[in-house]
Amino acid sequence: MIQAQEGHAPQESTSMLSPYRVLDLTTERGLLCGQILGDLGADVIKVEPPGGSPARRLAPFYEDLPDPNRSLYWWAYNRNKRSITLNLETDEGRELLRQLATRSHFLIESFNPGYLRDRQLGYENLSAINPGLIYVSITPFGQQGPKATYADSDLVILAAGGPLLLCGDEDRAPVRVCVPQAYLHASGDAAAGALVANHARARSGIGQHVDVAAQQSVTLATQANNLAYRLGADDARRMAGGARVGSQRVPLVWRAQDGYVTSIFLFGPQLGVFTQRLMNYLHEIGACDAATRDKDWIAYGALLAGGQEPMAEYERVVGLIAGFFASRTKADLFKAALERGLLIAPITTVDEVLASPQLDSRKYWQTLNHPELGRSFRYPGPFARFSESPITYRRRPPLIGEHNREILSRELGLSDEKIADLSRRGVV
Amino acid sequence: MLPLDDVKVLDFMWALAGPGTTRGLADYGATVVRIESANRIDGARTVGPFHRNKPGHDGSGLFGTYNAGKLGLGLDLSKPQARQVVLDLVRWADVVCESFSPKAMRAWGLDYESLRKVKPDIIMLSSCLMGQTGPLSGFTGFGNMAAAVSGFYNLCGWPDRPPSGPFGAYTDYVAPRFGAVSVLAALEYRRRTGKGQYIDQSQAESALHFLAPTLLDCAVNGRTEQGVGNDDPNCAPHGVYPALGNDSWIAIACPTDESWRRLCALMGKDDLANDSSFKTLAARLQNRRQLDELIAAWTKGLAADAVETLLQKTGIPAAALSDSKHVCEDPQLASRGYLLEVEHPVLGKTVIEGSRFLLSLTPARIPKPAPSIGADSQYVLESILGYDEQRITDLATSGALQ
Repeated sequence: MIQAQEGHAPQESTSMLSPYRVLDLTTERGLLCGQILGDLGADVIKVEPPGGSPARRLAPFYEDLPDPNRSLYWWAYNRNKRSITLNLETDEGRELLRQLATRSHFLIESFNPGYLRDRQLGYENLSAINPGLIYVSITPFGQQGPKATYADSDLVILAAGGPLLLCGDEDRAPVRVCVPQAYLHASGDAAAGALVANHARARSGIGQHVDVAAQQSVTLATQANNLAYRLGADDARRMAGGARVGSQRVPLVWRAQDGYVTSIFLFGPQLGVFTQRLMNYLHEIGACDAATRDKDWIAYGALLAGGQEPMAEYERVVGLIAGFFASRTKADLFKAALERGLLIAPITTVDEVLASPQLDSRKYWQTLNHPELGRSFRYPGPFARFSESPITYRRRPPLIGEHNREILSRELGLSDEKIADLSRRGVV
Repeated sequence: MLPLDDVKVLDFMWALAGPGTTRGLADYGATVVRIESANRIDGARTVGPFHRNKPGHDGSGLFGTYNAGKLGLGLDLSKPQARQVVLDLVRWADVVCESFSPKAMRAWGLDYESLRKVKPDIIMLSSCLMGQTGPLSGFTGFGNMAAAVSGFYNLCGWPDRPPSGPFGAYTDYVAPRFGAVSVLAALEYRRRTGKGQYIDQSQAESALHFLAPTLLDCAVNGRTEQGVGNDDPNCAPHGVYPALGNDSWIAIACPTDESWRRLCALMGKDDLANDSSFKTLAARLQNRRQLDELIAAWTKGLAADAVETLLQKTGIPAAALSDSKHVCEDPQLASRGYLLEVEHPVLGKTVIEGSRFLLSLTPARIPKPAPSIGADSQYVLESILGYDEQRITDLATSGALQ
């Protein structure tokens, strides 16, 4: 039933997904899914409209010059893909896509529900000509349901799925991570769904439709707080640098001498152990007295809740810890955390991430050469290390339609004249 | 038929990043045997929200969701008798997953090299904050800490305030996707080549893919991005605006000039649409704060859901900010089976989250509720490992099954 047994692009080596071809029709949403499959070795063909994907118009740009081949948003999520331009508004463009689909194992798309079906390119249409096809749809709210046609953006998805209300300062509007996140969560779920379907297909030969909704994907980012209402539990609430649950306030961000650190000052059988270590350390350097050190940090939460320990005393200890953190650099605090097993981590700026000795020592960063710009650039490295079939960065993100000729002539067997004609008429 | 019903997983994962990976496999039929000791319970059991707001080892909705569908084997790995049980399970398993700090499995003699001697084609996934090697490999903690080290905190907040940071253990929301994908890809590789392998997942390194554009911006342009509230370089207006009611908010984004004009019409301010201060995206980006004030003045007297419906009717991206009640009652999520009711032997009827993706031909099963510690020990030892009564009694006597 799997029809794409031959004719695919030569692969550098056997990797996890090297026998498979992926058609990636995603718009600006869901690009990471195809990249994950490409990183794992699949031959991913990015299908773009003539003029290029809308993702190419998104900032930031290389040297801040807006240009479809310079979008860093595009670069971030399209390596290990080839590019072909196809005009799906034309009969001929749709026919070429159908031909590619018969030679592919996966198709990923993120159009609004119904868009491809209206063009006879829906799951039912393509599975009829390639029953082995795994067809992955990534949409804001899913294929069906009362909000399936709602308009979306990263912010809107985060609002609808729950995480946004939990982030930010309590005296201001909730706030998101300023790098769009929603479709990355959805892309990860889509890749996992595609590979579950792949496992099923290995036995049955039959593909299926994978339906991913970004709204549902981002629910994971509430750490199950979304369940609170149905469980009859307290909702978590946002708090500057921390969270509130019921009457409990959990400060997570603390000022250090040269920036901020995150640290957990909590109690109970698990976390109280870490608090005890922190208090031992504070006592050792003279930042607290023995009586403070020797409080019952395991039972401390219960003592506070029961009123045996006054809140004022808790606040005094928080003040001691805050004073200690403020007197040390992020690096000093991190060093102490590593040596003593404390729950302290530096709040790291993006340039500090790029300079991380840890990432250097693991040779994380990967260099990709952009011959069109005469330069090489440093990309985030493999998402995991595989001992037998390591992830390789084989291709920099493609220019618009960079592989039109290669794909149309080698994969579909079209003549040079035919390709020139298609190009003249705006089909490719 | 469940698509992964031929997959057997030995699961040493704890907290969220790890168990989130294997929950996805269990949904689609994998047999997942989860090891947990009563002497060292999974910290996720102590994290809310709790069933009926009562803390207790079975009541955590976090634990309940991410461990549903798994079998619970009580095993104290510090007891010498436990080791043989583990090795027998390794022989049975296709995949071993663990999320301890890098030293732990080595200390128990359960590192990949040791397991491979027992089962040459085993697939092993080790997932930890910073990876198995490097100067920070010994750095242990939670996903909020990996999120801080990876740059997320500094990218979430207001320019005039300390960083707010995303909610909770953020890298724990990223790692399970890459973890599940890694295991499934390694199974595919083994199917074709017969070879198992070792997978070293640094949760921080996985999570950096969620910051790739800004990492490139820094590497390429030398720019270090910081939290900018809800501003977006490609969209204005773009923000979270107050609505009627306590802590009630509406998110609105106008990605095009046309959507801005439609918003002006809905606000009854057609004159704004022609105002040169707001006519183009460049102008609107320039005058963002003014825009935000105009929109907030309009939304603050209206119910968030009403604004959502009104704007969505004309195709403007908008959503009321959902709290738990709102999400639990959302008809869209309900239409996808977001919440599942399960009958828990201790709690009675309770609620967990369902599979986040839907497969048309081989849908996820409704999983059994997450196991109490050691709930399935007898079944695992007897039916999976074929131990006889005497052997099981001896193990119990040794304390290894605690």
